[in-house]
Amino acid sequence: MLVGLGGGVGSVLRWWIGRLVGERYKGHFPLGTFLINISGSLVIGYLSVLFNVDWDNRHGHGMVLNALVITGVLGGYTTFSSMQLDAARLAAGQHARLAAFYLLLSVAAGLLAALAGAALAGVQD
Amino acid sequence: MKLSFAILLVFVGGATGAIARELLMLFVPTLSHGFPLDILVANVIASLLIGFSTARHNRKVTNDGWHLMVTTGIAGGLSTFSSFTYATSVLMKASMTGALVAAAYVLISLVMGYVAVIIGMRIGGMRMESSPHS
Repeated sequence: MLVGLGGGVGSVLRWWIGRLVGERYKGHFPLGTFLINISGSLVIGYLSVLFNVDWDNRHGHGMVLNALVITGVLGGYTTFSSMQLDAARLAAGQHARLAAFYLLLSVAAGLLAALAGAALAGVQD
Repeated sequence: MKLSFAILLVFVGGATGAIARELLMLFVPTLSHGFPLDILVANVIASLLIGFSTARHNRKVTNDGWHLMVTTGIAGGLSTFSSFTYATSVLMKASMTGALVAAAYVLISLVMGYVAVIIGMRIGGMRMESSPHS
């Protein structure tokens, strides 16, 4: 139930931010989904270290915050499927290079954001 | 569509997708060397679904509300980018083998997710209603 609640809240947040960015930015690059995914990666890195989530055993400890925030809100907020749809649309619209650049940049920036988030949380210990 | 109704559709879809992802995490095992198969399966299914639903909406088989609930809600809630990048970062830091598994995980996820969207669009683009004229 907590995962559902968090997933619903995260999805609405994603939809709302996507609309805000879409109203202000009209370029080809899928900026809304990109910003959402990178910010979500930063927060998951930070909170996972803070909550001390053991990634290999996510279910063993029954942490309420883990279910609600990490699996729920952050999982619902970030999206993999929209990213792939954005890329497929770009490729179909003769922007294949931008599509490949978008996917690779998302992964690279997302990885760096997750690492930075974890490092930020580590500093505070 | 009223704003409050749109929010409700996204919330219900997102909650459904997230619960489905949680169930996948419970029942799909993580492979040896920590390969996150559960998240891969969730992301590929969601990519298939978003392609399918988008093609159906393009053909005006489904209305805007249904499309919003399925794509932004269910597919968005089922798929996750944050768990994808975080698991990759943890694997990368763990060991040399972990770094190789992380690279394979990223590559397989990107390729399979992309192909799933294309396949979903193809299936969604087909006429499924049996018509006497076809």
